[in-house]
Amino acid sequence: MQSFFQTLVSGLSFGAVYALVALGFSLVYRTMGLVNFAHGAVLMIGAYVASTFYLSARLPFVAAVPAAMAVTSAVGLVIERVLRPLENRDFDLMLIGTIGAGTVLEAVAILIWSSSGRGVPSPVRTAPLIVGGVRIGTYNLVVIGVVAVAMAALTLFLQHTKRGAAMQAVAMDHEAATAVGIHVGRSNAIAFAIGAGLAALAGSLASPMLYVSPTMGDSLGIQGFAAAILGGFGSIPGAIVGGLGIGVIGSFAAQWFQGYSDLVTFVVFTVLVMIKPTGIFGERTVSRA
Amino acid sequence: MSTVLTPFRVRLLGLAVLAVVAWLLPYRLNIYWISVADTALLFALLAIGMGLVMGIAGQVNLAQIAFFGVGAYATAILTTHDGYGFWVAALLAMVAAVLAGLVAGVPALRIQSHYLGIVTLGLAVAFVDWITNAPVTGGDSGISGIPTPPLFGIDLTSQYLYYYLELVVLALGLLFGLFVVRTPLGRRMRAMRDDALAAGAAGAEIGVLRMMAFGLASVYGGAAGVLYAGLIHYVAPETFSIADMFLLLAMVIIGGRQSLAGCVIGAVGLTVAQQELTNLAAYAQLGYGVVVVAVVVFAPAGLVGIPARLRRRRVRSVAALEAFQPSMLGGAEGRAEASAAAVAVPKGRRFPPWLQAGRAPRRLPSRRGGDSRRGSKPAERSEALARRKTQRGLGAEGRGAVPGVLLSVSGLVMRFRGVTALDDVSLEVRAGEILGVVGPNGSGKTTLFNVISGLYRPSGGSVRFAGRSIAGARSYRISQLGIARTFQHLRLFRHLTVLDNVLVSMDRTRSWWSWRYICWPFGVWRYDHALRSRALALLRGFGLAGFASALPAELPYGIQRRLEIARALASSPRLLLLDEPAAGLNGDEQRQLAGIVRAIRDSGVTVMIIEHNMGLVMSLCERVVVLDSGAVIASGEPGEVARDPAVLEAYLGKSALPGLPVPEASP
Repeated sequence: MQSFFQTLVSGLSFGAVYALVALGFSLVYRTMGLVNFAHGAVLMIGAYVASTFYLSARLPFVAAVPAAMAVTSAVGLVIERVLRPLENRDFDLMLIGTIGAGTVLEAVAILIWSSSGRGVPSPVRTAPLIVGGVRIGTYNLVVIGVVAVAMAALTLFLQHTKRGAAMQAVAMDHEAATAVGIHVGRSNAIAFAIGAGLAALAGSLASPMLYVSPTMGDSLGIQGFAAAILGGFGSIPGAIVGGLGIGVIGSFAAQWFQGYSDLVTFVVFTVLVMIKPTGIFGERTVSRA
Repeated sequence: MSTVLTPFRVRLLGLAVLAVVAWLLPYRLNIYWISVADTALLFALLAIGMGLVMGIAGQVNLAQIAFFGVGAYATAILTTHDGYGFWVAALLAMVAAVLAGLVAGVPALRIQSHYLGIVTLGLAVAFVDWITNAPVTGGDSGISGIPTPPLFGIDLTSQYLYYYLELVVLALGLLFGLFVVRTPLGRRMRAMRDDALAAGAAGAEIGVLRMMAFGLASVYGGAAGVLYAGLIHYVAPETFSIADMFLLLAMVIIGGRQSLAGCVIGAVGLTVAQQELTNLAAYAQLGYGVVVVAVVVFAPAGLVGIPARLRRRRVRSVAALEAFQPSMLGGAEGRAEASAAAVAVPKGRRFPPWLQAGRAPRRLPSRRGGDSRRGSKPAERSEALARRKTQRGLGAEGRGAVPGVLLSVSGLVMRFRGVTALDDVSLEVRAGEILGVVGPNGSGKTTLFNVISGLYRPSGGSVRFAGRSIAGARSYRISQLGIARTFQHLRLFRHLTVLDNVLVSMDRTRSWWSWRYICWPFGVWRYDHALRSRALALLRGFGLAGFASALPAELPYGIQRRLEIARALASSPRLLLLDEPAAGLNGDEQRQLAGIVRAIRDSGVTVMIIEHNMGLVMSLCERVVVLDSGAVIASGEPGEVARDPAVLEAYLGKSALPGLPVPEASP
């Protein structure tokens, strides 16, 4: 029982990061209809920028992360401008176009930071809490807390600000939104910048748990995308549930099947998606004739 | 004629030149470049498989690299571990790859687009995970010592000679792929890619087609894997990584996913470029990423799409100029002294005058009768057989069916999560009549059609067509039984030519008919040939022959509407459902439409028509059914129905004053 909860806790803290990645995917997808496979690479850029501020510029972690989010959001604005012709296009083109953009980002990262990775020491050094025999790393708690705050802030922004409401309107019908005077291009750009900022947050939070390298975004990106699909693509609660779900499944798969954790995770994922294609809080599409 | 260079001949000539170049190439290559060429050919084979499943069938498949891996690993394990000979192992490896393909294809039955993308990608990740961990695959270090395939004493340890083996396999694979794309199976796949719903309504078995597409892709993946194992003698997980999957994807998209030749060009080009730049890793990666983004943004159809795009632009202007010739439009009414000769035929095809005379479409559907038995060629026989089966089914209509009633709907209920779109609808369609279905917007007319044609499964009630229950049957099944439909908002296959649009629907074979592709390709070719001449005759009847090789989007709206009717009629239906066929047509076109519909009825096809244009309904229909809020509120002769107080109330509202103009109903 103790090891069960231990596995659960570790799954939840990775799951919180996946949830953040999934949220970025979902926000961009629902606002502009772009399935952004460069998201993992954006996350990697965010992790590198944060670790550079933290390790080289010696900024405290709490300052390095927002700074990295700001830089990465700016990068996101550039990417959005380049990929704008792909928005609302057919999926094959988006897929390969955004993968291409991700490749460019990875190459840039190699040119700036070299292809060897770097480890980031945990910014929280206090001893782990022990609750009923289960060790809970304090940093894991910090991650879960930060993710919860970010989610709440995003929800408030989308539901209680004018700009957020405009973005929701674009998500529902971009033509109608244009007709009522919403600047769709600007709304999309903001969505993409927020998505990139969330990716930077996820990347910098994950960097003490993983290892910062040019390819760190590949696996996080795929897991986060799977999380978004599992929860229901385009849905905010779906991203949270899906992220935690993928994190927990992966954690238990690693516990029970060791090396085969990816195999088990994705087979389980496939079965779940087959059972409920629209995810838990899914977008509903009705075929109309 | 013999000196004319048709596009087909140009292409043939190009292929011949390419074949000669490919054959002579090794003489100019050193040992390093021949190994690059060997790799390029393998990727080309993989890319053709990708092109078939993604570009032709529209199924996002990010597991192609895993099919490749299954082929290679199965060969490796069976030769080194189990001691099988190379070719026996190769055969078994192909079987394993196809099984993997079918497994990866199962999710496509439920999900599409990005969902399918992430699931297939996840399966590829799972495969890599398995080969890096399982003892039988040698883990990280992989499997070495795979033997060289023996081949009639040819020494295939030579990379030069292996090149020719690969070249032959690639050429066969490419030819077979092109053959599939241009004949019934590939045409259905392309139709499914463009619009799965309309393809289903035209008789294509969507689920089976999706599985076949994955199966085809895995055949190419498996073959490439077998050849890879025989070439390199060593397999390890890094060859089948997700990065290589994306590289393969880039090859297909950059080359042009809808053209198999484009896939080959992309594969060869990117393999060579990658080798050239291998010393400048990061810059090469940067350049590769930039090129991918640029191609996707500026040339979405890939490199091969660029010339076609330019050419297409020219054709479009010609077709648009000729479209409004009145003589064109008379053809379908059977009284035009049509001069289709005056119409530019984009492919340079010209018809002798006796073929251009406006033959009424009424003659064409009647092929269903004894006429069809005339074509006793083996290829056509199965089709005739299928039809006879249908007729036998229809022969049983006496039991429980009122004579003369073709379709009877009773107590039909359709609910969408609390919204009741159809509420206890009962109606009958008599054989040989034109039945109008009218009602205000949102009254459930289109929902009724969707249930009859199998797009929706009704929540309750029954639908009987010619004595057999069809409620809840799949749309392809209903199409095969003899119900065809058009759509309120046009649903033509966008990337198929006008001729192909009609051919998809005219092809009445079932999916299992496709075994001929393996065992008797000539039969496929002959069947396709016969189908083409019938389709052209149908197009001539509709006055559309001049547009045979145009794309639907290049045609004026009115002509697209007519094409949809032609497509529906191509399936030789007994019942034709027309959903607002006059929407968006001008007065002239509406009159022509009325003529077409009457001609269709006169040819023995029963017609059910949803229409808002009351003038058209009054003049065309023998009987009219009025729907309001999902229920039948009146039915009878048009004149009676128009005076029915319930109908007036439905259209004008309770408080409407007499003499108030009827609000224009628009979709």
